Amino acid sequence: MTNDKNMFPGAVIPYGTWGSSFFPTWQTSALAEVNIGQFAGEAMSYIMGKRNVRQSEIDYLVSGSTIPWHWKFWGSPFLSSTGGHRIGGHHLEQACATGLQAIIHAGSEVNMGSSDVCGVLTFDRTSDSPVGVFPERRTYERTQVLADVWDNFGFDPATGNSMIASAGNAARKHKIDRREVDDISYLRHKQYFDSLESGALDNVLVPLEVLGVQGKPIGKVESDIGTKAISLETLRAQRELDSCVTSGTQTHAADGMATILVATPEKAKELSSRPEILIQFVGKTEYRTSPSMMPEAPALTVEKLLKRMSLGLSDMVVIKNHNPFAVNDAIFGKLLNFDWAKLNNTGCPLVWGHPQGPTLTRVTIEALEEAVSLGGGYVLVFGCAAGDVGIATIFKVSDGGLK
Amino acid sequence: MIKQMREDTLQTLGLGTVLEIFKSGKLPANASEYVDKVFGKEGERGALVISGANGIVGAGKMMQFGVRLKEFGVPIIGLDFPGAADGLAQQYDGLAASFGVAESNEIMSSITRMNYDGKTLPPALKKYNPKFLLEAIPEILEIKKSHYEVFRKEFPGIEIRSVTSGFPESELGVGIAHPAFPHQINKVWETVEESPSDITKMLWALGMIPMPVSDDWSFVLDVLFCGVTLAASRYHEATNMPYWKIDKYVRKYFGPNPFRAHDVIGAKGANFLTWSCLAHLSKNYGEVYEPSSVLTERKDSGQNWYPLNHLRPIVNQKMGNGDEKLFETWILGPLIQMTSLILHEKRSHFTHINMLGEICAQFRSGVLAQIRKLGSEKCLQIVEDYHKLHPEAAENAWYPETIESLTGNDWNQLYVNAEHDGEIGVITIARESYNWDVNDELNRAIDWLKSENIKRVILTSDFHLTTQLVGAETSDFYPALYDKEEGKRISMEWSKTARRLHNEFESSVGFMRGKRCLGGMLELFLHCHYVVATNDLQVGAPEVNLPVVPGMEMCHWTFRKAKVEDWSKIANMMISGKFIKAQKTCGWLVDFAGSEEDAIKAAWSMASGPQQRRELKSSGMSIPKDIVSVTASGNKSLEQSRQAILNTIIDSCASSLSDALEIQSRHSAEFMTSKLCKDGVIGQDYSKTMNV
Repeated sequence: MTNDKNMFPGAVIPYGTWGSSFFPTWQTSALAEVNIGQFAGEAMSYIMGKRNVRQSEIDYLVSGSTIPWHWKFWGSPFLSSTGGHRIGGHHLEQACATGLQAIIHAGSEVNMGSSDVCGVLTFDRTSDSPVGVFPERRTYERTQVLADVWDNFGFDPATGNSMIASAGNAARKHKIDRREVDDISYLRHKQYFDSLESGALDNVLVPLEVLGVQGKPIGKVESDIGTKAISLETLRAQRELDSCVTSGTQTHAADGMATILVATPEKAKELSSRPEILIQFVGKTEYRTSPSMMPEAPALTVEKLLKRMSLGLSDMVVIKNHNPFAVNDAIFGKLLNFDWAKLNNTGCPLVWGHPQGPTLTRVTIEALEEAVSLGGGYVLVFGCAAGDVGIATIFKVSDGGLK
Repeated sequence: MIKQMREDTLQTLGLGTVLEIFKSGKLPANASEYVDKVFGKEGERGALVISGANGIVGAGKMMQFGVRLKEFGVPIIGLDFPGAADGLAQQYDGLAASFGVAESNEIMSSITRMNYDGKTLPPALKKYNPKFLLEAIPEILEIKKSHYEVFRKEFPGIEIRSVTSGFPESELGVGIAHPAFPHQINKVWETVEESPSDITKMLWALGMIPMPVSDDWSFVLDVLFCGVTLAASRYHEATNMPYWKIDKYVRKYFGPNPFRAHDVIGAKGANFLTWSCLAHLSKNYGEVYEPSSVLTERKDSGQNWYPLNHLRPIVNQKMGNGDEKLFETWILGPLIQMTSLILHEKRSHFTHINMLGEICAQFRSGVLAQIRKLGSEKCLQIVEDYHKLHPEAAENAWYPETIESLTGNDWNQLYVNAEHDGEIGVITIARESYNWDVNDELNRAIDWLKSENIKRVILTSDFHLTTQLVGAETSDFYPALYDKEEGKRISMEWSKTARRLHNEFESSVGFMRGKRCLGGMLELFLHCHYVVATNDLQVGAPEVNLPVVPGMEMCHWTFRKAKVEDWSKIANMMISGKFIKAQKTCGWLVDFAGSEEDAIKAAWSMASGPQQRRELKSSGMSIPKDIVSVTASGNKSLEQSRQAILNTIIDSCASSLSDALEIQSRHSAEFMTSKLCKDGVIGQDYSKTMNV
């Protein structure tokens, strides 16, 4: 560890003050039936209770989601009130970058002294997403109706292309081999299921029971429902939807939430179950690539960030990303000359799904847990987002991580 | 000379002992006499004024007094501000549901409403000659005091009682009559007076339950109720568990739903009252009573504790493994400490302290009974653990010596007392339902009377805290739903206790009074050699509707004492589950039914000397299978329950008296583990309460 850069000297992440729901595939769980904002607020309170953090310790909330939800107007104060302690805060969204962006915002709030303990609460429900009706003078229909999730995935208003098309474009541009993409997806599934079995995700994922309006349980969210192991043969046999993109090499819509705290170093020591561990923000950047080339954006973003931080991938103890397409990882490996097998040791969104808002929050939590289990070091978290954008952040977990 | 295990609660009202009631052959006070004393004789009656009559307390008490004072022609004046929302009209539907429209209209016609500006009394009030002011205005000391001044200036001899839930008499300058929620139904009043007044005795004579308490901040009920609310709110602060879920756990382990109760009473007012009580207490007794920040926030906002309907909870925030201990520490720790203050200040009779928790604050077992069950050592440990979580609480108002030794009959006989005059003993039960505590205390009472060489005994309710005897405490059956042996143990042990009344005295008289005597309590009383009841008392065996099979020997004992031609009456009562007026059961269930005074005299007479008693057949009897003439209900479950009871009757009667005990217990226990019972009232209660 030779780099002393610290983008938020006054803010750290208290080890262990985090948690995520499992991410059930859309329409498969009780989460399809609830106001996801309320669910997330209550779940955050529950998770923080499990981590021995009193809600009253949190003085600001950065919330993030991408799909409209009931009472959205009330934002963070509403979300925190569902957890029993109403606080101020703001809501943000940046498609699949939302989770990481929210963590950075929380770091900024704490670093600038506006908050001592800032909560991050991210969530989304892709199931039965709301339908927006937009008066639109410039269209011949005069009014447009948009199903929030699918009409956006299928249509970039700037290019007219779908997300899948961007993956196909990027795969063709970088001459990615379909077999390599299948191999990546196969490994990613194996990494996830091996981690589940080893208990590596036990400190990350919190089983939750969902109640109906009568107060009776209507379902348990205690696994990433719908996520199944897949054989290489099956992957190979799947039909291509675009170049290198099959149903097995892309993510799926899911529902869920994830939460994490950022605090001053003093408060972090009070809140953390292992105060000796210091988790700092080292650097962050974003990058926009050419239109309809989203899967290459993360690699280019990481390249930019590493250069700026004077660090290399070999300095990283954990590298983890949001990869809606396995193509992302193939391009990353190719552009940065890096063995993609070393990415995503404990699983990734390609496998466990894509609820957007909380996706990169869960990725970050998994990455930090893994880094602690490895004794500390630099942690690189990155991903892509709608608009051909990439986002990347480096954290530093102090050497005291290994227990 | 009367010798007692402990003081009767009736004595705290200046009304003598229960034994004296039987010896004198009459009640110690009657309503007519004390209405005359408080309001003046008929023709010269003065009025009852309730100020703050539109508030939740005032309106409730307007109804309660309206019902009771109607026959005496006492005018009831409801006084409030002109702009106060009409709280009285809101009471009308409930009144009509209980008494019918015609009688309710009549009750309402004795009520006069008047407005005032808070400073000057309405001139029209004078013609009603107010004799008794029950003040139910907001909990602001200076406003209350000036209110009394206004009345005293206008009506110098007026008796004033405040319903305050917090201020002591020494602050207010008037006596206290603090009623318990719900105000139109609950009969309990905490009273603060130097000695029991005519008003307090009138309350008793009108069928209400005054309980004298000492003149200290917040009395007993609110220390316990506000205390458990505060403790629960602190648990929320410590763990983030939502209030609704904490309520479920508090209910599971202790009985109350403190947060729900606030919302039901009306969060805005109730939050303020709770906060106000605690704020006063914390000023006087320190941090253990300091309102939590969430309580203060709710006081200021008036916000409900439970989520609004459109935010019904989504995440089931259950406790994890081992969290029960933390929960117990956060809830019981302060509660035990607060109880130590109540004991230290000798705030009331032990039975009052215990029963205020049960009757008014929903505790399944009163706080003293819980402390007794936990034992001194464990209680001290819990408080010590609590002080580690909340060190400031240890600084004041903790009196461990009050619970270091839980001995003596004040502790041992919270529910059951015994006394005698050297010849005849009286056992009083101060709990409406029979549970293990009552069972244990009853055994100790019987032991004590026998040790005192008493051979004749009257078993009765306590003429004070129990206005009815409703049967067995069904929550004591929960373990039996899944454990046949536990069901058998309950049935056998409780029956054995009941048999002692028959086997161990030369003469025993069961004296039943009040509204009703049902189920397990009826079974208990029926074990006495003689059974005496007041005319209007309702008796019955509601077990079939729960359903359970009666397990304290009603299935055979009653048949053994009845003539063959009366068997069908007993069977029909048990199979139908219908209640019957006691006077209609003379000869086959009770031996005498009459007016209260006649019944008291009859009971004393039966206990005093040899009388002809109904024989208890000890050999087997053949009960015809077609003995029941109750019409089939068409409800399959009900018919199956009826059949189970009938089978128990036939089997237990067919055997000898000694074998019948085991047979009826086996039937009862087997039924309790059946699907019918689990799907019934007890099973559902169990699921709601215990499966949190």
